Amino acid sequence: MTDAAAPRPGFPRPSRKLLLGCAAVVCFFIAWQAMFLFVHYNSLFITKPSLMFAALWRLTVSGQLFYDLGASAAPFIYGLVAAVIVGVPLGILMGWRVRVGLSLDPLMTALYASPLVALAPLVVIFLGVGIAGKAFIVFLLTVFDFVFNAYAGVRSVDPLLLNVVRSFGGSEKDLYVKVIFPSVVPYIVAGARSGVGRALVGVLVGEFFAASEGVGYGIVRFGNFFALDSMFAYILVVTVLAVILTQGIRWAERAAFPWRIGQ
Amino acid sequence: MTDHRLDIPFDGVAAREGETVPASNRWQRSEPLVLGLLGILVVLLLWEALPYLVTMKAGTKLFFTPPSQVAETLWTLFASGTIWEPLGVSAAGFAIGLGIAIVIALPLGILIGRSETLNAFFDPFITAFNATPRLVFLPLVLLWFGLGLWSKVVIVAFGAVFPLLINTHEGIRNADRLLINVVRAFGAKEWDIVRMVVVPNALPYILTGLRLAIGRAVLGVVVSEFFGSDQGLGVMMVQAASQYKVNIVFAGMIVFMALSLAMTSIVKLLESRLGRWRPQRVASE
Repeated sequence: MTDAAAPRPGFPRPSRKLLLGCAAVVCFFIAWQAMFLFVHYNSLFITKPSLMFAALWRLTVSGQLFYDLGASAAPFIYGLVAAVIVGVPLGILMGWRVRVGLSLDPLMTALYASPLVALAPLVVIFLGVGIAGKAFIVFLLTVFDFVFNAYAGVRSVDPLLLNVVRSFGGSEKDLYVKVIFPSVVPYIVAGARSGVGRALVGVLVGEFFAASEGVGYGIVRFGNFFALDSMFAYILVVTVLAVILTQGIRWAERAAFPWRIGQ
Repeated sequence: MTDHRLDIPFDGVAAREGETVPASNRWQRSEPLVLGLLGILVVLLLWEALPYLVTMKAGTKLFFTPPSQVAETLWTLFASGTIWEPLGVSAAGFAIGLGIAIVIALPLGILIGRSETLNAFFDPFITAFNATPRLVFLPLVLLWFGLGLWSKVVIVAFGAVFPLLINTHEGIRNADRLLINVVRAFGAKEWDIVRMVVVPNALPYILTGLRLAIGRAVLGVVVSEFFGSDQGLGVMMVQAASQYKVNIVFAGMIVFMALSLAMTSIVKLLESRLGRWRPQRVASE
């Protein structure tokens, strides 16, 4: 084994890493497919990648996939937007007014630490199986990501900058618009990064419990029918989407706030 | 609530760690505690008083339970001992799952931290499975392992393994190159380097990973018991919810919350204990 960061001469590291990564993924699928040359194939237990991709193609062409994705996207987006609208101002308020922060911090920490998914059955019974229930679960799971990140963001504001604005006669509004908000934004994006994952959990929980459409419902339904090729296709779609969402936000973070790298 | 506009300009940010205002009197020192408790108390009182403040429809009343009743339910559950059996089942799933996650994550984290090639090879899978909510695998896991303990263990382990793995990896890579070179110059083998420099350095990271993993493992227990289990605290909660026994749902949630808070704060204590000699603080996540 070589030293962790030692660059190999003549082989640029980023492309090497990318190449190896792609090779690993390809190897994985080939090994999976080839496995059944040696192992008995039982279609009630597992599927082959070839069948999975065929199912994916079939579901894409028939439009079923997009229908389910659309059904899942609506509560996902509503819930996240509501979480931003409620969570960010609350977090900013908690960070800016010391006593509000002190009063709410333990409560919020307790709620953040508690498995709020546990309320899902109640929410589903109360708000129904439609968009509202799922959106509320998403909201419940993600709002604290925004609260705590906005809170941390305000507390990281450079006092010097506040002083400068005050010295030059800036008003309270100027403080918010010119100093606090810009320094909080990167934190909010970081909150969105962790929130997106939890939002996906929220949508899936909602759809597992009770739904008639959506990706999570699709996975359960295909599982019940033992249509494992379609089920794996949907799982693959969720995996790819999750990676795109989290890595996309991470990439946007790096592009928009380059000074925050390494923080 | 007790919110006054402060005259001192920077009090809004001065509460940051390490630069707290010198507590000259007892009130200032106990203020965070008092305000924090007050905050929780106010919310609980509002919750308790809600039925007197607004009139609820009969349908809504079915879903409402005041905190006093939740506390009472909690008390009866513990006093009558009915909670121990489901709690034990849940705890077993939690412990076995977390144990498996630790056994897998630590060696693998050290390996991929020390070898660039292995890291590049495993990275796509770690990224993909870490980003994916493990819930999507639940129907599949149920199909493979059936209802009961082992499905739960798999889901718990699957959720807990990634924070541990990623943090171990991060800690291993963060080892001081100078120290590694010194040990190597004195004739150490790779194993010695790992044992003497790399792992001790990574310990705080591993603990941070453990803290995150505990949270995820608790979630894993809840979720897997909701959808695919025959016994456990989560099962008890779902059954209660379908019978409109909201107080049991809340009582169960409080038990989960207390356990998760207790375990994470123990790890946090360990973290600060073991990391005391460290000049810089380790970033979490």
